Order: sequence, then structure tokens, then C-alpha cells
Amino acid sequence: MDLLTLFWIFLKVNLLSVSGLASIGLLHHEVVGRWLSDEQFTQAVSFASILPGSDALQLAMFIGIRAHGIAGAWIALLGSLLPPTVLMLGVVLLLYRLRREAWISSFVEGLTPAVAVLMLSVAWKLLQPALSLDWRVILLALGSWLALRSNLPPAAVLLASGLAGILLYR
Amino acid sequence: MTSSGPASVGFIYREVVGRMMEEERFIEAVGFSNVVPGSEALKLAMFIGYSAGGMGGAIAALIGAILPPTVSMLLVALAVQQFQDTPWMRGFTRGIAPALAILIAMAAWKVFHNGRRIRKRAVLLALLCLLALLIGFPPGLVVLLAGISGIWLFR
Repeated sequence: MDLLTLFWIFLKVNLLSVSGLASIGLLHHEVVGRWLSDEQFTQAVSFASILPGSDALQLAMFIGIRAHGIAGAWIALLGSLLPPTVLMLGVVLLLYRLRREAWISSFVEGLTPAVAVLMLSVAWKLLQPALSLDWRVILLALGSWLALRSNLPPAAVLLASGLAGILLYR
Repeated sequence: MTSSGPASVGFIYREVVGRMMEEERFIEAVGFSNVVPGSEALKLAMFIGYSAGGMGGAIAALIGAILPPTVSMLLVALAVQQFQDTPWMRGFTRGIAPALAILIAMAAWKVFHNGRRIRKRAVLLALLCLLALLIGFPPGLVVLLAGISGIWLFR
């Protein structure tokens, strides 16, 4: 039953978002509290962003393992793989001739405001400690913002912030 | 080699354009992969693989795109589980959270903006979604409804 739920969640999340990071709003709602703590969710998203390769698949692996061990990882992976591969195959075989199907692109354009709002809600949640005026959170957030604005690679920024955390939160 | 779909576009461009497909078809591939739901890197792999070698090419490219991230993540996930309760892992997680928040917020802006002129309708839709979420609508439903209303709003 757990495995079926896991499969359905990843199928749904990958049908409703176009990239890894954009899926975290939905994912957070589905898995935090059920299989992962907030802290573990942070780890999942961080390592998915740091490690090379598709974020969506890595999120599936990490969360799948937490939920149901190795079997969970494969099931979550399968759920994430099906929507893009099956749909893209359809595109390759059919739309390739029909050119861009207008309603699909309008559908995705409609998704984006909702997805962006959901992403912001996760970002907001991660910054909650700043409300209790934890200067370390404010410092790390400001530093990361400056670093990302000057186009440093996100993986490096995340790692640096994590390492700084080891020193700051002793 | 790259950590996400968008980041890999430039890299793939250099590798495949001219050798396996023309520039115009590559741009088409990127365009499609932005429109179809699901992981970007996979969709690009499918499209380019298919152009280069038909069905077999699509499957080969897919396996190439799936293996490195999943195997590396499997190892990391197991390691993180092992060190979950060590003080340095806790510090690392707390330290990484603000950076991740900023990264996500910037990505959210990019998703919303995406190089287009921002339309009033999109802002309105975003506000409606926020309201629906605050009232307690399930996020999946909100996203789905937003997509469906997009079919009318963004014709």
C-alpha cells in the first residue's frame, strides 16, 4: 500500500511540474510528515541540487529510500520516469509532425504561477528560523543571495553554506 | 556533469549540434522539453536520442541520463542516513537551509518569469493560487486547476 502511494505521488508530482526544483512545493506537501521530517526534506532537496544529474530523479531516490528502503527508491524512480518519457515519446512520434500543440503550452503556462507560489512557500518555510532573529540564518541567506546573484554555481553555494553551518551551529 | 536540466542545455548543445542534429531541431527539442511535464534532462535525452538513432537512440540516451544521478544519489542517501544524528550533519543541514531557500526563491522567480513579459493574468492567477493554498486547498488540485484555467487564460 505504501509503495502504491509512493508511486502515485511521484507520478502526480511529475505530471504537474516541468523540472526538479519546481516540483518541491507539491512534494513537500505530500511527503513531509508522512515519511520525512522537515530536516530530511531539506537534505533531500540540497543533495539533489548538489549532485550532478536530474534533480527530479534524485529527489525520488532519496525520498523513496526514506519511505520504503531500496524498493521504495525504485518505485519512486519509476513514477518519476513515466510521465516525461511517455509524454516525450508522444511528442516525438506525433507532435513532431503536428508542430507545437497550443493547449499543452497554455496548460503549462497556467501551471507556472501555481508552481512558483508553491516553491515560495517552501523557501519561506526554510527561512522560518530567521523570524526568531537567528543571525546565522540571516547571514547565510544574504551571503547565498549575493553569491547566486553573481552567478556562482548553485552546488558550490549550497555546499559552502552547509559547511559554514557546521562551524556556526556547533 | 551538470546538476540540472537547464544547466545541461549548453553542454549538450556543444556535443550534439552539428554531429547528430541541426541547430533548429535542437532548439525545438529544448522548446518541447519546456512544455511537456516531467524531468527536463530526461525529455531532452529522449528527443535528441530519437533524432540521432530512432527508438534505440532514445532508450540509450535515457539510460545514460538516468544512471549517474540515481546511483550517486543512492550512495549519498544511504550515507546521510548513516550520519543523520551526528552534530556535524545537523549543522550542515541547518546551514544549507537558508542557501536552499534563496536558491528556491530565485528558481521560483525564474519559473514565473521565464524570459517573458509578465502578464497581469499570470499575477492574478498567482494571487488566486496563494489564496486557495492559504484557505487550505490541496496543492495538487490548485496546480491542476491553474493549468486548466491556463488553457483559457493564455490562449
